[in-house]
Order: sequence, then C-alpha cells, then structure tokens
Amino acid sequence: MNRINIREQIFNCIALLFIQLPLLYRITLGDRIFGFFYIGFLLLLPFKVSRPYLLLAGFSTGLIVDVFSNTPGIHAGACVFVMYIRDLWLRIVIDDTEELTNINHISLKKTGFILFVFPLVFVHHVIIFLVENGGLHLFGLLISKAILSALFSFTIVFVLNYLIVPKARRI
Amino acid sequence: MRKLFDFLYRRRTFAIFLGLEIVCIWLIVSFNQRQNADFLNSSNALSAQVATGSQNVSDYFDLVEINEQLMLENERLQAELRDKIAFADSLDVPTETYLVKGARVINNTFRRSTNYLTILGGEESGILPGMGVISTSGVVGQVKSVSNRYATVYSLLHPKMIVSSTVKRTSTNGSVQWDQETYDIASLKYVPRHIGLKVGDTVVTSGFNSVFPPNINVGVVSEVNLEDHMTFYEAKIRLSVDFTSLPNVFVVIHENKLEKDSIEAL
Repeated sequence: MNRINIREQIFNCIALLFIQLPLLYRITLGDRIFGFFYIGFLLLLPFKVSRPYLLLAGFSTGLIVDVFSNTPGIHAGACVFVMYIRDLWLRIVIDDTEELTNINHISLKKTGFILFVFPLVFVHHVIIFLVENGGLHLFGLLISKAILSALFSFTIVFVLNYLIVPKARRI
Repeated sequence: MRKLFDFLYRRRTFAIFLGLEIVCIWLIVSFNQRQNADFLNSSNALSAQVATGSQNVSDYFDLVEINEQLMLENERLQAELRDKIAFADSLDVPTETYLVKGARVINNTFRRSTNYLTILGGEESGILPGMGVISTSGVVGQVKSVSNRYATVYSLLHPKMIVSSTVKRTSTNGSVQWDQETYDIASLKYVPRHIGLKVGDTVVTSGFNSVFPPNINVGVVSEVNLEDHMTFYEAKIRLSVDFTSLPNVFVVIHENKLEKDSIEAL
C-alpha cells in the first residue's frame, strides 16, 4: 500500500482551492462558461480516506466557496453529493483499486483520469446551475452552461494536475 | 459478523450524507428570505477583503473606463447645476429628500442566474438593508445585507428584484423584472393593453415605493408583443445600466422612509 503524498495534497489545495476563491466568477469565457475547478481538489483527495471524512471535507469546502459566491448551501450541497458518489464511481471506472492511494493522472492513467474526473465535475456543475436557476426553465441555456463549464473546469484540473505531479516521478 | 459491521458502516456514511444535505437545503431555503443579516455571504469581512484585493488588481485595467464615466457624470452634474441656478426661485416646493452615498463595487456578477454585487460601504456609512442602489446611468439593485464595512446588493439581474416603474411618455405604471437570460434585457410587466406602448419608450422608476427616487432610468423598450387574448403587454426592455462595467454606485438613503412606510401601512 502506498503512502499518502502530503506534498501533492497541499499543492492541490493551494492551486485548486485557494486560487479559485478570489477568481470565482471572474474567470468567465463568453457568457456561459464558468470555472469551478476547486472541485478538483476534492476529487483528488487520497482514495484511502474514509468516506465520512470525505463528506465533511466536501461540506466545508463547499461552504467556503458559498460564502464567496452568495449561495449558502448550493456549492456545499453539490460537493457533498459528489463526495458521496466519488468512491463508488471510482470503483466502477477503475478495475484495480487495491493499490490505489493517491489519485492523479499517473496512478489512474490518462483515460482513467478523464473517465473518473469529468463525469463528476459535470454532475457537480449541473447541480449548481440547476439549484441556482431555481427550476428547469431555460433548460437549453442551463445544459449548455453545464457542459461548457464542466469542460472548462475539467481542462484546468487536468492541466494543473500535470503541473503538480511531474511525469517522471514513480508512484 | 463482519458483514454486519460493513453494513452498519455504510449506513453511517449514508446518515452523514443525508444530514449534511439537509443542512445545505436548510441554508438554501433560509438564504432565500428577502433580507437577512447573516454572515454567510459576500459582505462577510474575510470574503469581502479577498474580493477587495482582487478588485484592486483589476481596477488598474479599467482606469480609462472609470475616468470616462466620471467625466460623463461631471458633465451631467454641471448641466443640472446650471438648471438649478436658472430656476433657483422655484425650488421652494417641499419635496421628498433623498441622499446618495457613493460606494465602490468590489465584486459584481452578471452572468449567473442570480446575481449580486458587493460594495465597499456598510453600517458605518449609514447603509442599511433595503436601500436602493443606482449608478450614473440608472437602477442597479437593492441592498440585501450589510456588515460593518461591506454590503451585499441584489443586482437588478436577480429574479427577486421587482422594480416599480413608469413608462415616461404615457405615465403608465408597470413592473420591471429580470427574466434570467442575458444581462442587458429584462421584462416589463403589467402594462395594460389600452396603452400605446412603442419600441423606444423610456422606462423610469415610479418613486411609489421609498426605495428609489422617481425618474431614475431603468431602460428603453426594445420589443413589444400583444396577442388578442392578453390583458397586459409582453414587453422587453434594454437596461440602461451596463452591468459589465460598474466601478462605482450610489446608495439611495431616503430620509423620510420610515414616516412614508408607516403611514402607508395604516
């Protein structure tokens, strides 16, 4: 069993969460692309952390983001939901989870990383836009916002992960 | 036995999950009350300071635009001053008194389906929840909650903001409400069908509630639709405020608000 890489987690936290906060709703492309890439920090928490802790981590991170965006409960709720299904989803996508501890683009391989991260980012974004919108009206706008923003956030998480976890290192 | 423990363990996770989601739903619901002085929003000191910092950086890139707006505002004030001097004698009519208080915008969203502004100015400078917020070009929003030095403002681009307005040419009352689509278009509602509403009519605040003074620009009618079965027009207006560039706003303080509201409540 591998040890948890503390350095990687700290870098994830700084790069994904602390950079996100002042830039929330300032990084926008066009009129429907928002980057909520802080979710990457939660998704890339070590696999061996027990699920109640993951839920609490999701809740507190979401609440911090909520304070910055005037949406108490929305980001927190979405994060808790994503953290609840995270490990279940990881077991479905990745065949061999026995030796998995640190989650990054090397331990999951490229396709595994995409299959694991993107759907969860998408679910998170859909929940946020749906609740913020307060219903299913303007459905086309809603879904296009969710898809484009999820792609954008995912790209940022992916690139930052490449920068944080150098390829040469063995895990 | 191990299976039993496994089962219990899984149930524990699910219980925590449910508990946290219920807390979240409660937060969402209680935040949706119109006004509250709750700390979980952007007028909270920590998040406001972070927002001020990042606004300070981006302000440098907007200096040209800010200067231009200030110049336009000065021009307008100069013109008004000339008018006032010319009609100085006729100014003795008692009117409602509104004070305005300038404030810097430190955070502003306009592309979400619910939008807020955070402004630098709170209880210490006399800003209270419920006050109207305008800019040099028109209506911006209404104060939602305040802390000591910061305030969170409902943008006009929030589905809960309904502004009592008047079509200037015909003096007809209606309500302006944002329809969550783009940041420059809102709906004008409840204008009855016997009024000849036209594209290009100016819509201003009515001044009937004590939030906004009368005759503040809201927008210009850009689309009119009237089918045979409709009692009211379905009209869209182009908002006069450009929410994409809003460096400074003014908070409207209505001096006799309490008196007016209490006499109207009788």
